[in-house]
This record gives sequence, C-alpha cells and structure tokens, in this order.
Amino acid sequence: MTAATTLTTDRLTLRLPQAADLPTYTAFCASDRSRFVTGPFDAVQAFNKLCAMVGHWTLRGFGRYVMDLGGRGIGHVGPLAMDARDLPEFTWTLWDPAAEGQGLATEAALAVKAHLFDDLGWTEMIVRIQPENTASCRIAERIGAVLTEAEAPDWFPGALTYRLTAGGAA
Amino acid sequence: MTDVIAQTERLHLMRPDATDWPGYQALITSPAAQYAGGQKTLSQAWHAFAGHQGHWALRGFGLMSLRTRDDTRSVGMVGAYYPEGWPEKELGWLLWPGETGQGFATEAALAARAWVYGTLGWAGAVSYIHPDNAASIAVADRLGCTRDAATRGMSPDDAAFVYRHPDAGVTP
Repeated sequence: MTAATTLTTDRLTLRLPQAADLPTYTAFCASDRSRFVTGPFDAVQAFNKLCAMVGHWTLRGFGRYVMDLGGRGIGHVGPLAMDARDLPEFTWTLWDPAAEGQGLATEAALAVKAHLFDDLGWTEMIVRIQPENTASCRIAERIGAVLTEAEAPDWFPGALTYRLTAGGAA
Repeated sequence: MTDVIAQTERLHLMRPDATDWPGYQALITSPAAQYAGGQKTLSQAWHAFAGHQGHWALRGFGLMSLRTRDDTRSVGMVGAYYPEGWPEKELGWLLWPGETGQGFATEAALAARAWVYGTLGWAGAVSYIHPDNAASIAVADRLGCTRDAATRGMSPDDAAFVYRHPDAGVTP
C-alpha cells in the first residue's frame, strides 16, 4: 500500500518536494545547519539530493514529505529506505532556522508516524541522530523513539540509533 | 502505466519508473559505467536512479525510458538532462547491457531530439561523451552532431568531448 502523498496537521501541509523548494533546500544544504546530516553540500549536490527525495516516492511508494507552512517549504520529514532490505529510517529536518522552536517538526513527525503505523500497518522504523543535535534528540523522545545500543553505520559515524515502534509511547 | 511521450519504429519513449531499475542498475554498477558518470555501488546507483525520477519533478523533463513496442522490455533511457551544474542542456542516452549494437540509441535519440526541440522548445543541445566511448561517438555522428573542440566538457578539467547537435531550426 502506498503512502498518502499529502497529509495535513494543525499548522502544516505535508506534500511532495517540488521545484519551488530548491532555493530553501539549497540554502540549508550550504549552511552550518546541515552539519548534523553529513553536510555541507553544494548546489549540485543539493539538486541531486532533492531529486532523489522525489524519486524515492516513485520507486518505493513512500518517502519524505516537505513541511509546507503557508505555501513555503520549511523542512522535510518522513521515512527513507535506500535499501529495501533495511528497516526504514525516519527522518526530519528543518531547513529554515526561523521555523525552529515552535514544535513544527514534532507536529509533522507525529502525523507521518501515525499515517505509517496506523493507516499503513508499518511496525518499526529506526532513527539516527548525531548526539550533539540535542534539539533533534528531544523530538525523537517526544514522538516515542527509544534509544538503542546499535552502532552507527559507516556513512554516519557517531550517530545514535533510536527505535520507533507501533504502539510505543507517543 | 505511464503515458507514451514519443514513439519510433521499434520503441516507445515514456517517463521512467521502477521497471527501468534492473537495467539501469546492471549498467551503472558495471565497468561499462565508466562512460556514464563512473561505476557506482548499488546504493549510489539507486540514489542516482531516484535522481532521474526527481529530475522530472523538478525540471519538468528528463531522461525517458525506452520500451520495445513488441515486448515492452526496457532497453535504456534517452532524453533531456539538465541538472544543477550542467553548463548546457544535454541530450543524453544510455543503453542497458545486452541492448547495444541494435541502433536503439540513434533511433531513440532522433525522436528525443524532436521532442526537446518541439515540445520543450530547446534551441539547441549538446551531448557530453567520453573520448574513448567509440559507440556513443558513432551515435553522435549518425545524429549529425559536430564536436565542439573549443568547449571543454562539464568543467574546465573534464575530459568529456562536447558534441553539438544541429540547432532546432536546421534539424531534418
């Protein structure tokens, strides 16, 4: 069953990435904010990454949504499965620093989590976060993710691994 | 089922989808990919393939899947490629292992060129080809391209040859 391509929360529309998101996403990739997600990335890499974010939907039937606040993309949120044999990784990122501190990422993550677990019947995802990214660690805890002892993958050294399961605390 | 964008004697050209992944993966993870951006690991290839899907979403055009009209087999991709960082709009082609040597690239590229000039309104196009890629250079020759020796490839230190297609106004 494929995921809904649009979800709505109190304040956000969650929709597919589109060309209009490119400037904000590119600015995020070039900024210090991307240091927690193996950045920074130049404009060419940003284009390719946003392309792949869209293409993931085509190939897997699910993927990452853009958090749209009043017509403007401010971040992305959703499951990622580069390799179909692995557990999907649940991700969220606020591109725009002005969007921080208002609970928007938590609101978006809860909506996507509910759709995947409650509507689609998914049972488990993992979350990977750099320990210095304390704001993101707090979001993981708020949405019910539980810290595990799993080792970081080669591509993301030092990352903490959380486990998010259906029926867990939220 | 994706809509057919253009057709040739033997092929349908359409937006790519997961059907094209096995062929793309076989090519891009093989040594033959040295002429197509370099050999990649499986996960790098998946990222690049997803990127071709996303190119359509962000640009409104991209490489098209080539499906044989007789058995709907995917044999490669041909079409319009203009990612961030590309100096000029490219008409590109890729054929999967085992599908070369049958004239599919030339046949499809002619139709794709008519599409980029007619539907997309491009005024011209280039193809970036590795100097050792004799098969692709032969395709460019058959398409009436001329090598632009004054222009380097995708960057000043890039080895690719730039083949310039006849402009939109003069294409037969």
